[in-house]
Amino acid sequence: MIDFLQTILSGIAVGSSYALMGLGMVLIYKASEVPNFVQGEMALLPVFVAYVLLESYGLPPYIAFPATLVFSIFLGCFLEFAIIRRAKEPNVLGLIIITIGMEMMLLGLVSWKFGADQRAMPFPISSYDSIMIGDIFISTLDLLTLVVALIIMLVLFLFFRYSKIGVAMKATQQNENAARLMGIKTNRIRMVTWGISSFVGCVAGLLIAPILVEPYMMWDPMLKGFAGAVVGGMTSLPGAVFGAYIVGIVEHLFGGYVSIEFKSVVAFVVIVLVLCIRPSGLFARHYVKKV
Amino acid sequence: MKKKSVWILVAITAMVFGLTFNAMAEEGVTDTEIHIGQWGPQTGPAAPWGAVARGTDAYFKMINAEGGIHGRKLIHHYFDDAYNPAKTKAGVKQLQEEIGMFAWVSGVGTAPGMAVEDYLMERKIPWISPSTGSAHWVDPPKKQLFALYPLYSGDAQVLVRYAAQDMGLKRIAITYQNDDYGKLGLVGAQKQMTKEGMKLVAEIPVNVADTDMKPHIMALRKAEADAVLMFVTPGHVARLIGTGKAMKFEPQWMTTTTCGDVPLMMYITKGLYAGTILASFGMLDPAAVGIGNVEDVNNPTLPLMKKYFNDAYKKYAAKDERWGMTFAAGIAYAEPLVEGLRRAGRNLTREGFIKQMEGIRNFQGIMGRVNYKPFDPKDPLCRLGQNEVFISQATADGKYKVLTDWIKTDYVNYE
Repeated sequence: MIDFLQTILSGIAVGSSYALMGLGMVLIYKASEVPNFVQGEMALLPVFVAYVLLESYGLPPYIAFPATLVFSIFLGCFLEFAIIRRAKEPNVLGLIIITIGMEMMLLGLVSWKFGADQRAMPFPISSYDSIMIGDIFISTLDLLTLVVALIIMLVLFLFFRYSKIGVAMKATQQNENAARLMGIKTNRIRMVTWGISSFVGCVAGLLIAPILVEPYMMWDPMLKGFAGAVVGGMTSLPGAVFGAYIVGIVEHLFGGYVSIEFKSVVAFVVIVLVLCIRPSGLFARHYVKKV
Repeated sequence: MKKKSVWILVAITAMVFGLTFNAMAEEGVTDTEIHIGQWGPQTGPAAPWGAVARGTDAYFKMINAEGGIHGRKLIHHYFDDAYNPAKTKAGVKQLQEEIGMFAWVSGVGTAPGMAVEDYLMERKIPWISPSTGSAHWVDPPKKQLFALYPLYSGDAQVLVRYAAQDMGLKRIAITYQNDDYGKLGLVGAQKQMTKEGMKLVAEIPVNVADTDMKPHIMALRKAEADAVLMFVTPGHVARLIGTGKAMKFEPQWMTTTTCGDVPLMMYITKGLYAGTILASFGMLDPAAVGIGNVEDVNNPTLPLMKKYFNDAYKKYAAKDERWGMTFAAGIAYAEPLVEGLRRAGRNLTREGFIKQMEGIRNFQGIMGRVNYKPFDPKDPLCRLGQNEVFISQATADGKYKVLTDWIKTDYVNYE
């Protein structure tokens, strides 16, 4: 029983970073209707910026991390403004290719500028300490990730519900033409959405980085976050979070009780199953276009 | 008219002699140059091993600065294959067919190497020191392929033996990468455990893409392992030890040459690597350092390592290149090639070179003793240069504490 609970808790802990990545992807999917394959690298570049600020410039974390988060917002806005917006009458496939291209550019930039060596990120709390809940362990870093993920979800919920920009974003996502007629600057709203998405991804990156910093560190969390978003529904923020936790828990249960060897691929089996049963995901409404 | 005829005759004679001379010359060899090819990942997930090719490059530059080999410079052609076998094959074919290599050296990765092995062997092109400890290179042996790297199964043997006999540990487990590298380690560990009259208490596979090690640690903890062998990548070692520490699971960690760059491992594990026991194939001589003594990789005791540090690394490595095991290994893998070229003399042919390589006995550079034998299709050891390793332990200040002298390993491959 202890093992089972430990497995579930470990699944929830890892699901938190998937959830943040999934949230970032869903935000952009809702704004630009494209699965954003540059989500991982939008977190990767800021992580390396944080590393430089901490290691090379010796800045304290309470300055380096906020500065990095601000950078990530600018990065997201810049990518939308400079690249996505410039695409002429893009279809979904074209946009996907553009995000893959951006992914390669950012990954190439990081690999060229910082090299391929693995690095250790200085972090205010140790990634190797843990606390006990009864007989069950949770590392302090996992606990922090869980708490931060929950806070971000709550803030996003409040932001979309009550803030003017949040409501404008929802309006733009639901009907762009109508939103524009209401005086909303939809281009600017889309750019801000990319900025917020980049911020959320960057938080995930900064919480993954204390374990190991390397150019390919965001690839797996991005894929699992994407899997979670597809499971929950690409147009539902709570769905993406729930889906990511499902992926984390199922992955751990499968690894613990069936086969560690195939643990990594089980997330994609879940995707196939969900898409067969509910093509829009568990939480998103299935829209049928009426002619 | 007569004068013109003489010139035509001279030209034809020169062409005929030129053609004859060219037909006699060995591919990749000119009066002043020997062309050597190499691949290695400079980008992609395996890029940290890119230092191997850069180490070889610095070594060749050092040799050229010292006058080359029998009046010829070594021209090093290395390319980035990003650890992608398709790119390896394309790059090797391009260099071989457009420029013409006399031989190939090193080459990181089992899968990239396997992609070009047939191509090189069918054309009888020598390939020295594939940079992996796979048994594939020697089982069956190939005439032009000289392996150097001791097999991973040998690392596993000595680690298990040390854990069981010297440390008295009974519950030994293994985490292994789910590929040729990890599985060969697993086979070596299983065989040695049988010899010790025990069985591994857990055999946990790790996929290269795995980043979350909690299920692996839970399985090891459940098995109550008191020693764990890790045949995985350096990044996975960091994740395993770190996750273990967070989950209050701290057995005696043991690992292999692949994860034996102690300063790097100490850095990426934030010091948790201290105390880890590792099998090593060289870069220091345990007999010279002395059992129980400590070696600093930045202040090597081995005179040859000191020379490479000063004359190759300091003079020819890029400014931000780190001196470490991976860089030095790039030198070590090329040492038998250089020795073979020296022995082959000025009249360099592939046939003569192979013959000289087969005559290498007890050659020692910065790895262990290297021995080859005349080709015997039934004897893998005729093409496996080194089959001894030693055991050391990572110290808290990022050095190597030597625990044993060289230990000869048995040849173990899959059944």
